[in-house]
Amino acid sequence: MKIKLEQLKKEAIGKLDDFLALVEKTPQEAQEKFRELEQQFLGRKGKLAILLKDLKDLGEDVRKESGEFANNIKKDLEGRFGEVFAKIKIAEPTDASIDVTLPGTKKELGSLHPVTIIQKEIEDLFSSIGFMILDGPELESDYFNFEALNVAPHHPARDMQDTFYLDKKNENGEYDLLMRTQTSPMQVRAMKKYGAPLRAIIPGRCFRSEATDSRHEHTFYQLEGIMIDKKINFSHMKGIMDLVGKRLYGEDTGLKMRPKFYPFVEPGSNGEYTCFLCGGKGCRVCKNTGWLEIVGCGLIHPEVLLAGGIDPEEYSGFAFGFGLNRLVMLKYGIDDIRLFNGGDIRFLEQF
Amino acid sequence: MKLSLQWLHDFVKLPKSVSASDLADKLTNHTVEVEGVEYQREAFSKVIVGKVISVAKHPNADRLRLAKVDVRSEILDIVCGAPNLEEGQLVAVALIGAILPGGLEIRESEIRGEKSFGMICAEDELGLGQNHEGIMVLSKKAKVGQDFSVYLGLDDTILEIDNKSLSNRSDLWGHYGLAREVSVFYDLKFPDYEEFCSPEIIGPFSEKLDIKIEDSILCPYYSALKIINVTVKDSPKWLKQRLLAVGMRPINNLVDATNYVMLELGQPLHAFSAEKVNRLVVRRAKKDESIETLDDKEHALDSEILVIANSDEPVAVAGVIGGGKTGIHDGTKEIILESANFEAVAVRKAAAKIGVRTDSSVRFEKSLDPNFCPLALRRALKIIQETCPKAEVLAYFNSGSTKIKSEEIKLKASWLDEKIGETLGVEKYVNILRGLGFAVEIDGDILKVLVPTWRAAKDVKIAEDLLEEIVRIYGYNNIKISLPKIEMVAPKVLPEKILEDKLKTILAFDNALHEVYNYSFVGENQLNKLNIDPSSYLHLVNPISSEHTMLRQSLAPNLISNARTNQFKYDSFGLFEIGRVFIDISGNNEKGGESSGRLPYQEKNVSFVIAGGDNVFSRAKGVVENILFRISSGNVGAYFLPGESFPGFADHEKSARIMVGSEELGLVALLAKDISKTIGLKKESVIVEMSFNSLLEIFLAHRNSQYLDVSKYPAVKRDLAFVVDTEVLYNDLRESIASFDPLINSVELFDVYQGTNLPAEKKSLAFSVSYLSKDRTLTTEEVDSLQGRLLVLLAEKFGAQIRNY
Repeated sequence: MKIKLEQLKKEAIGKLDDFLALVEKTPQEAQEKFRELEQQFLGRKGKLAILLKDLKDLGEDVRKESGEFANNIKKDLEGRFGEVFAKIKIAEPTDASIDVTLPGTKKELGSLHPVTIIQKEIEDLFSSIGFMILDGPELESDYFNFEALNVAPHHPARDMQDTFYLDKKNENGEYDLLMRTQTSPMQVRAMKKYGAPLRAIIPGRCFRSEATDSRHEHTFYQLEGIMIDKKINFSHMKGIMDLVGKRLYGEDTGLKMRPKFYPFVEPGSNGEYTCFLCGGKGCRVCKNTGWLEIVGCGLIHPEVLLAGGIDPEEYSGFAFGFGLNRLVMLKYGIDDIRLFNGGDIRFLEQF
Repeated sequence: MKLSLQWLHDFVKLPKSVSASDLADKLTNHTVEVEGVEYQREAFSKVIVGKVISVAKHPNADRLRLAKVDVRSEILDIVCGAPNLEEGQLVAVALIGAILPGGLEIRESEIRGEKSFGMICAEDELGLGQNHEGIMVLSKKAKVGQDFSVYLGLDDTILEIDNKSLSNRSDLWGHYGLAREVSVFYDLKFPDYEEFCSPEIIGPFSEKLDIKIEDSILCPYYSALKIINVTVKDSPKWLKQRLLAVGMRPINNLVDATNYVMLELGQPLHAFSAEKVNRLVVRRAKKDESIETLDDKEHALDSEILVIANSDEPVAVAGVIGGGKTGIHDGTKEIILESANFEAVAVRKAAAKIGVRTDSSVRFEKSLDPNFCPLALRRALKIIQETCPKAEVLAYFNSGSTKIKSEEIKLKASWLDEKIGETLGVEKYVNILRGLGFAVEIDGDILKVLVPTWRAAKDVKIAEDLLEEIVRIYGYNNIKISLPKIEMVAPKVLPEKILEDKLKTILAFDNALHEVYNYSFVGENQLNKLNIDPSSYLHLVNPISSEHTMLRQSLAPNLISNARTNQFKYDSFGLFEIGRVFIDISGNNEKGGESSGRLPYQEKNVSFVIAGGDNVFSRAKGVVENILFRISSGNVGAYFLPGESFPGFADHEKSARIMVGSEELGLVALLAKDISKTIGLKKESVIVEMSFNSLLEIFLAHRNSQYLDVSKYPAVKRDLAFVVDTEVLYNDLRESIASFDPLINSVELFDVYQGTNLPAEKKSLAFSVSYLSKDRTLTTEEVDSLQGRLLVLLAEKFGAQIRNY
């Protein structure tokens, strides 16, 4: 008896599995077919019912034991059929009324860091005009961070009070490892790796030995860019900087430039864009000037091109850099720079 | 630096139509950044001349008195503590609402029960001097009710210039140099500085100065005058006003003269009292020497600091500050006036070492033109002779060279056109350069340019420097905007960039984690609490806080801190970071330059923390599985193995290695209870950390994975629940099932049970096993037989018993 029951169970499950594997008809047809199968095994005249009729012919002890066993099998099968039916059943609209104004099921959401968001925006802009996106070491050598960028050996920027040095001396007994103070060392690394012509941006983390308060951070984020090709000139640099302003802040955004000294460019410049908050009328954010200082740029110094293995007679180019913290702070009206590295979800989840 | 417009007018005659803000814009757009315009009149707004009509005792205070002061529009009651207050005096009265130069705001007040409607000011309160002995008594010329600034004759306009923008232009640290720039903007005549100096000092001299230069590298040029018959007194009004206008406190006629020249030409001078110095030696300080400087502070010196010494001891730190004993004092009758050129880096270092940065050191740091030295002496002499008509030069000393290496720069006009992007014309180029003091010789298309000494000292060396001069004077904003016309190239996209973006999206949006940017630094105390050995960590030489002394080797410590700081604001939360870790072994990047070495290892890790809520461990593993599924187009599954070596903060029994194939990607670690307690983290937390590069390999390997044919034949699914000893690991069981036969195409765990219906030490693991063939429909019998053999194997290998449904 038990053996027969087991066999029946196996057969039923096998059929169900086959049925599921083959469901490709319309839901109605599938349901019909399912009902057939259900009748075939569990129906009043189904296989199980027929088998159970034999129960009464058994001796009392055996009958009781087999009855229990059969019952279990029946429950099992009913369960199985139920599961399968759940998979193919056609949802029927419920008649109960619903409060349509109830909120949807809450979905838990994470967030991207605001610097990631703005960085991506700028990356997309530059990739669309043919710039590569590169990444580079945050722990740099004195050579790439300063020397290759034409920063004089005793330039104040190299002081301990401005730059974090690593407590690890080179063979000459000098500290030559540091936390990069700018993304600019990647200019020379990129030139060495990819040569000219070259178009690339390099976002990244930078460091300065500076006590933190609401406006100063020892860890901050920059985005560097370079473009090197034949006959690249000042007018082109303005063209690209203008394009960036318009893409960041809208078509009416103007560009204003003025001289600024950086050792690795000549001429060097600061770029200001029309304040996006007041449209140039003057407000608190732009300190009533109507302009926001956003970018530093310049034509790449020939010494820097040489350090990157590029012939300044043949190629020229420009470089530029954005302070990502500043862009984010302006965009979202953030007034405390420490929030960026503070890890406070109440801040992070807003982006 | 502050620039007085009246002072500027000594050198250039600006048209009346040019306003201060026009000039500020011009300077900002062409030369240096002007940060603000300050009108002197406004500095003393609501300060007016008043007359003291009566003075009475204060009923409740001995030292205070009650004054009635006529300010023409009314008569004010003012409580005053000055001992020199007398009836009939003309005084400076700060009215209610006035904000004094020191920032003091005047309000209506009650002092010991008596109301006071203003303040009678002392010199120091007005920022006009150090005197606080009593109120400032004005001369009879003062008119009651007159604005105090009008009484003082202060109607200058001051431009505040950003010092940083002057850092590469040593020639602009005085009014004369800035005036030259202004003369170019407006095409004005610009005078030779000679016109403002006393005639050249040629002698004969009745005395010889005993001066010796021992270090001509740190002091390339030194000159000095001995001037006799001087008297120390207050400077004349014009001199005081000029100094005050640019924020320099007047001291006496001699010191003021030296400061005046510094502010005008940019060359610092120093005056010694001649009777206090028998001889001067310019040398490096000796070990253990020290100096008491003008500000009455004692400074230790060392051999890297250049000093001016007399026969016994240092009397000045060269280029930085003078000594107190040898400075000008009230009785000084003879002075030695020093005008020298000191090496820039040495001055900067000396100033930093003794912790004193002065107007003088700031200028020397910028590399000054030694040719300024003789001019400055003669300019100062002229001013001293104006205040002391009997002053006479007794001796003159000079040593060293004022020559500066200045080579001719050749450039083509066509090269300039090409770099600018438009043609401005040779004439324009030449005019700009000549206006700035460059000598230009035109030879066909070639310009031969000789750099003037004041620009050669530091900033102009190559053709590109001249390009900058031309472009900035022409105006950056006047150059047309154009876009480069270049060959189109599709930018190379780096797979690591694609993966990083993808991972961030997966973590933030599939898994509801918040991205953090944590510091790259950790502190010793932080690591100790987490039971992490800091001995192999890279250290900073100059950390600024004890919390940030070393470079992180793992993203975990800072994420754990994040979990702690956020724990009370959210029931359950997760944070992730993708960032670099730093290990003291050779990495992939070259150091560059002369070194053939490499930078320390600094690859990226991907890490997250999940804190609070149920099943943190399992949730964390779910995130890992999700990441791997998503970056491998569903081709790779992670599995977890127990391990031996987990970080010190991990509960080793409840931590696992993350595996893909035979490679270990990282770890999942439950924070140990005792550690949580030590750091005050109340929520159960799990840290996951994986190597970015390992994930990159997986990503790259499955980037081009092909579509798999959906089998035409049905899969047969069987659910099997096994009862095994609790020590039996899921992963081993799963492995055995999955690798049992090629027809088994997936094995999914769907239930784990341990509890009342099972004996202790037993658990039930329920799997859904799917059998599939690509070339036929499997028969029930075939699957049964396969499953039968599988059950036998599992029973043998793991003692697994089928749990009856």
